[in-house]
Amino acid sequence: MAELKYVGKPARRVDALEKVLGTAKYAADYRLPGMLRARCLRSDLPHARIVRLDVTPALQVPGVKAAITGEDFVNHGNFGYPVQDMYMLAHEHVRYVGEAIAAVAAETEEALEAGLNAIICELEPLPGVFDPEEALKPDAPLVGQQPWDSPTEPRGNLLVKHIVRNGDPDPILAQSEVLLDEHYSTAHQEHAYIETEAALAVPWPDGNGVTVYSPSQSPFNDRGNLCRVLGLGVENVRVIQPPVGGAFGGKDDQIYQTTGQVAKLALLAGRPVQMTFSREESMIFSYKRNPMRVHIRIGADRSGKLRASKVNLVVDSGAYSAITPFVAWRGNIHAMGAYRYDACHVDTHVAYTNNGYTGAFRGFGNTETTACIEQAMDDLATRLDIDPIELRLMNCLRPGDETAHGQPLGDDVALVECLERVRRVSDWDRKRREYGAANQKSSVGAPVRRGIGVACCFHGISLGAEGADFAVSTMQVNDDHSITFTSGLTDYGPGSRTVFTLIAAEVLGLKPERFHMHRPDTDTAIASGPTVASRATVMGGNAMRITAERLNSLLHHAAADLFGCSLVQVLRDGELFIGPQEEPVSFEDVVNHAREMGLMLSAHGRWDAPSIHWSMEDGTGKPYFAYHYGAQVAEVTVDTGTGKVDVTGIWAAHNTGTVIFPQGILGQIYGGITQGLGYALMERVDFDQGYLQATNFDEYLIPTAVDVPDIDGHCVEKYFSPGPFGAKNIAEPAMVPTAPAIVNAIFHATGRRIPDLPANLERVLIGHDLRQQGSDRACKLGLKHA
Amino acid sequence: MKIEFTLNGHPASVEAPADISLLHLLRDYIGLTGTKEGCGVGECGACSVLLDGQLVNSCLILAPQAGGREVVTIEGIRGADGGPNDLQQNFIDHGAVQCGYCIPGMVLAGEALLAKNLTPSRSDIREAIAGNLCRCTGYQQIVDAIEITAIDRRGEARKTEVTHG
Repeated sequence: MAELKYVGKPARRVDALEKVLGTAKYAADYRLPGMLRARCLRSDLPHARIVRLDVTPALQVPGVKAAITGEDFVNHGNFGYPVQDMYMLAHEHVRYVGEAIAAVAAETEEALEAGLNAIICELEPLPGVFDPEEALKPDAPLVGQQPWDSPTEPRGNLLVKHIVRNGDPDPILAQSEVLLDEHYSTAHQEHAYIETEAALAVPWPDGNGVTVYSPSQSPFNDRGNLCRVLGLGVENVRVIQPPVGGAFGGKDDQIYQTTGQVAKLALLAGRPVQMTFSREESMIFSYKRNPMRVHIRIGADRSGKLRASKVNLVVDSGAYSAITPFVAWRGNIHAMGAYRYDACHVDTHVAYTNNGYTGAFRGFGNTETTACIEQAMDDLATRLDIDPIELRLMNCLRPGDETAHGQPLGDDVALVECLERVRRVSDWDRKRREYGAANQKSSVGAPVRRGIGVACCFHGISLGAEGADFAVSTMQVNDDHSITFTSGLTDYGPGSRTVFTLIAAEVLGLKPERFHMHRPDTDTAIASGPTVASRATVMGGNAMRITAERLNSLLHHAAADLFGCSLVQVLRDGELFIGPQEEPVSFEDVVNHAREMGLMLSAHGRWDAPSIHWSMEDGTGKPYFAYHYGAQVAEVTVDTGTGKVDVTGIWAAHNTGTVIFPQGILGQIYGGITQGLGYALMERVDFDQGYLQATNFDEYLIPTAVDVPDIDGHCVEKYFSPGPFGAKNIAEPAMVPTAPAIVNAIFHATGRRIPDLPANLERVLIGHDLRQQGSDRACKLGLKHA
Repeated sequence: MKIEFTLNGHPASVEAPADISLLHLLRDYIGLTGTKEGCGVGECGACSVLLDGQLVNSCLILAPQAGGREVVTIEGIRGADGGPNDLQQNFIDHGAVQCGYCIPGMVLAGEALLAKNLTPSRSDIREAIAGNLCRCTGYQQIVDAIEITAIDRRGEARKTEVTHG
């Protein structure tokens, strides 16, 4: 392969300048003449029937310009994917605390508040269900939703069931020399993007349409929902994504509601309408990471060879499905870990409850299940008295192996390399031995102990069986010889704009400074599915590569015509085109000649993921076309007198394939690990009778700069042939192994397993939570002052 | 009431209610939206500004408290040419920016530290930005950017000493 000039070379983010200067305008930063502000009336009950709802008194309040309920939308504002169970504003029932019931737009804050207070809303409380296992019992109160796969057949609170079936693990487990049979659990996690939700809708002067500035991750999904609930064609709805202040999977479904509300209000009022959110309102109304309860059985030989696994997952979806059926599906697929087994079954049950609602969050089910299976592997290593890295190396997936689903793997698998890399760079063998010996010796005398733990993962690339998997780009050369491009996939922080720019520059042999990516806009870009699942580099990057190749071939045609030579005689030296006479011609001259020829210097390209097939009914198939692999080691000190855990080192090795944007990929590794550290030690959203217990950063703690050590990140650049220039994904898998590596390190330090995340102070100190009386106070205050 | 203060080096005089926060004043009465609201309770640092050189959460300061004092927001941090200053340029060069929402506050936290201490250790830098939450970067490249700026400015300071010495 030719020497690469831009891919993998030091580069800067293309959108950093406006952000460091403070001039980047996020959705809440827009100020337009005549702009109204809007807010929702929200439920303060976890489950209730709406007995009476009348917004006409709000319209009498001076300064209120529009007030709406679900009845102002087509089909009550019903939307959702894959289950259409949500509404733009509540329809007949509310099912969680914070659910939006009505929305008001007004000229001033005072009028807005008076308008919301004037709404007549009577709620009749209904019994709620707050535990996913209770919810699945036949006599449980019903959340009142229908199952995913059979909308007409009542099936209690069961949203969906997923399975994996490969062989029969039962007889193997029964005869195993060593049987591990353990329960683990994970908690709700808040995305905690620093930018809360916001949206601005601007009605068109002709009254026929609306432009929405929305920080949703997936503008085309947003537009689709808007068209549906507003009864408008795609030509009358335009969604533009301003800079987004972090998303992590958390800016889709609830933003679609928000945009629906502001769009309707703007169309009715004939004025721009902006809705912004306090942190409290954001935390109360937005979806969270799904909590999971995981029962793992693994049978192994005394030598350490794994034989069979059986995993049961119970997933709390909360009041609405959002994307949870697929989160649970990804969890279901990854629940047994990146290991070889003779047989494997997974059974996943997803329950509706009245605990807020859940959806996508970085890692999308795999963060949860890997946290559990990787603790199980550690427990198994202890029982077998085998080093945890050795046990993983003995059993982990290698090139040419079959996954636990029976999927044959290619030569891109690099888990052994990742494990060996972190073993070496963390000085694992020495530390494991020395800390282990010190912890054995110390009993009461040494309150501060050290430990080191490992975890590894695989992570299916892109959507797999979750939907049509393709991406599209467009590109054109402009009058000033700059090049603009679009992608149907967006960049809400991870750096894909820069990745796309570097790929385009590499293919075209032109300087990155020539390229500018259009702001994501449904009127200029082409739909490419949602921006989720760490899809941007592989899917969007390939679309960009193809687009750039097509534009490049147009330029070479023009150059050949200019030189009067054949295509193969055109050579390149950077931006220069060189003909048979060895006379260099500038890019500008080639472009000008192309114009004289009447050539359109624009191109588009689409890339489709290699095919996959998964039978939801049989639990068999090829769930993803390929996987990312990674391993991390964490080192901790644990103060056994206080329960305080300090993470003193993290070493990460990820099978990223070719690195395109080095600074960006390290940023993803550091950031993902930091979210994983929070997930391991401190982050936990508790619901008590459906009421969220922490509504701001004073009680919901996320890692600060002093909670995180300097991280040592490594990329294992094994070439991945389907990826652009051999690249794989990184954003989600960077987070996946972190929490189990940390809790395994705590186990190494203390000898005590904390099977429930997070391993917070009291769990580390006394092994269980301090009983705390929950209350509805934080939620009610948060909603009042939203 | 009329609130008069120095804003990014220039006199400012704004008619505003007495009970609003400095953050609200900056964003909604003056139109400087580089200062962000992330929590409204002084926990996240997205609204950080310098008040007489001290790093403060502008959501916790009442607007009239700025009266007669010197306020510096992200819009006031610029190089001689009006572009990014050295710290901002190092944020760009060292990958310290992802979504960017915390970055104005982070830059001001960095400036507040470097005004007092040009020889900070990495843990000094981490302490100095511990009141500013970032959910994207894991802080490491932000620490790099501040550390490198400190080194550069030490060099500049030495050069100045030599010139004047």
